[in-house]
Amino acid sequence: MTTRTLFIGMDGATFSILDDLTKGDDDHKPVMPFLASLYKNGTRSILRSTPNPLTPPAWVSLMTGRTPGNHGIYDFIRAEEHGDDVFFTLYDSRDCNAETIWSIASRQGKRVAALNFPFTAPPPKNLNGFMIPGFIPWRHLRLNTKPKDFYDQLKTELPDFNPKQLAWDFEQEKEAVNKLSDEDRENWVRYHLPREKQWFRIADYLLRAESPDLMAVMFDGVDKLQHQAWLFLDPTLQTEEVGEYHQRMRKLCLDYFRQLDGFIEKLVTEAGPDVQVFMASDHGFTTTFEVVRINAYLHERGYLHWKTMPETEAAKRREDSMFANLDWNKTTAYCRTPSSNGITIRVADKPGKTGIKPDEYDSFRDQLIRDLKDLRDPVSGERIITEVHKREDVFSGPAMKEAPDLLMVLRDFGFVSIKNKQPVVEAREEVAGTHHPDGVFFAFGPGIKQDAKIKPCNIEDVGATLLYSMGLDVPSDMEGLVPEAMFTKSHLAENPVRIGAVTHSNSKDAESESMAEDEKEKLMEQLKLLGYME
Amino acid sequence: MSVTKETIAKILIEIIEDLTQDWGVDLDESISEKTQLVNDLDFASVDIIQLFVAIEQHYDKKIGFQDLLMKDGSYVSDLSIMQITDFVNNKL
Repeated sequence: MTTRTLFIGMDGATFSILDDLTKGDDDHKPVMPFLASLYKNGTRSILRSTPNPLTPPAWVSLMTGRTPGNHGIYDFIRAEEHGDDVFFTLYDSRDCNAETIWSIASRQGKRVAALNFPFTAPPPKNLNGFMIPGFIPWRHLRLNTKPKDFYDQLKTELPDFNPKQLAWDFEQEKEAVNKLSDEDRENWVRYHLPREKQWFRIADYLLRAESPDLMAVMFDGVDKLQHQAWLFLDPTLQTEEVGEYHQRMRKLCLDYFRQLDGFIEKLVTEAGPDVQVFMASDHGFTTTFEVVRINAYLHERGYLHWKTMPETEAAKRREDSMFANLDWNKTTAYCRTPSSNGITIRVADKPGKTGIKPDEYDSFRDQLIRDLKDLRDPVSGERIITEVHKREDVFSGPAMKEAPDLLMVLRDFGFVSIKNKQPVVEAREEVAGTHHPDGVFFAFGPGIKQDAKIKPCNIEDVGATLLYSMGLDVPSDMEGLVPEAMFTKSHLAENPVRIGAVTHSNSKDAESESMAEDEKEKLMEQLKLLGYME
Repeated sequence: MSVTKETIAKILIEIIEDLTQDWGVDLDESISEKTQLVNDLDFASVDIIQLFVAIEQHYDKKIGFQDLLMKDGSYVSDLSIMQITDFVNNKL
């Protein structure tokens, strides 16, 4: 058996960085020479992310070929109003309404391996192959790894296998958030070098020992570095007059990308000349230069009312907890989580409940949109919120009701803050990295055009493309399309894209539990570190 | 086939043994119905959530552990395997 399709995910990879790292000149070799060779020998395109370019909806769209309104994953956490507070629930794979490519391929007899993809825990029951989920603590890797004995097999086969290094380290991230001194930021970047190596070693082992039909691995350090170290990476922010720390950090970041390039080369080489290689990111990256405190703005406009808290330590902790602490009897619209970039309108579904009346919804929402568009830069007059989308325009589908009523796009593409703090708009002391809707999509190998740049694809197209590459039909209900411009005419003539039976439903057999308070804090610390919070 | 409390307890202990086998927790005695998740096994809240996911996966059924986790509006500080067994027994 040989691997037919290799997929390498790079969380947050963006052309503005990769173009720079694949360039060389007479004096300098490119940082990523192998990727540079893929530019020449393969096809690439911009990959449009989900309407809110965020890890959970975007990777799930990539893995299902469906949009968020259909798969139902919008954020890291799902918020629900209960009584006089908002409770938060972790999303997991069981919350996804759509069948993933891992399941689609498995039930058709293909062997797949999927490493480090978010929202794959718990793994699908019908998985034919290997899965180690991403974004979960090391203590839970064993139980969420498939097949059941694979975790112990890795301990035997890979002497350096270290689950603590492999998985998200909650404590390390908590520490980094608490301090984030220059030294901590440096350590944060260093921490991801051996971590990615762990994932690479497993992928390399699986390719050699098992040769699954589809080998897929995701490297998420790209995103994490770019959030914390954007200042040292973005070529437009580099000058000759930077200090020793800046130079050291840039070198460290480049070492990370150099290592990643080596991993890509080894995996592609190991997979052999007959493999089709695809690489993609869930979103791109850009510079965020300001903080937008959206709930403070909604308060100014009379939509949101803060809860008055006593002068106690517990109350102070609650205020600092990052969760909106609101007077629910008066609040009509608010933002639940920074990563959502969304506004939830409170509708009184029954008489006596708080919120606007259902028949006022349209006029209320139109006024809210006008108010959001009215938030302007006091100096330039430029709009701070450049786009406001109604949910039916961007999240249509059976899961639309779980989406925020409005989705905002800020002028710098940043994530909003939901803190009770002034001013509403404030310049950051130091610019940072944030998500951009344009990610990357690469293809390379037999049947794929060389040195081609095709028109932008959608993130849902990746799932369809991977199924096509494996020789499978693309389910007729999959929204993603195979970008035929990526392939040679002769390949398409021999391997026409076939549209087949619909996907199987992904029944929700269980629900996640509400999170305990300290767990909320841990998760929010992670999100803060990743740049989703002020 | 009816599911007995003894069977549930046995399954829960197996799941927890499997889950915690490489956590490096020192136990004075083997895991039993008296074992407490936080005090004896060093569970953090995320570990409890993951355990509940594993139990629901085993029974292929939504159990809804929220009622077990919440007492009078606050989260409980610890849970014994016996408490979880009783709760699962009532829900199956």
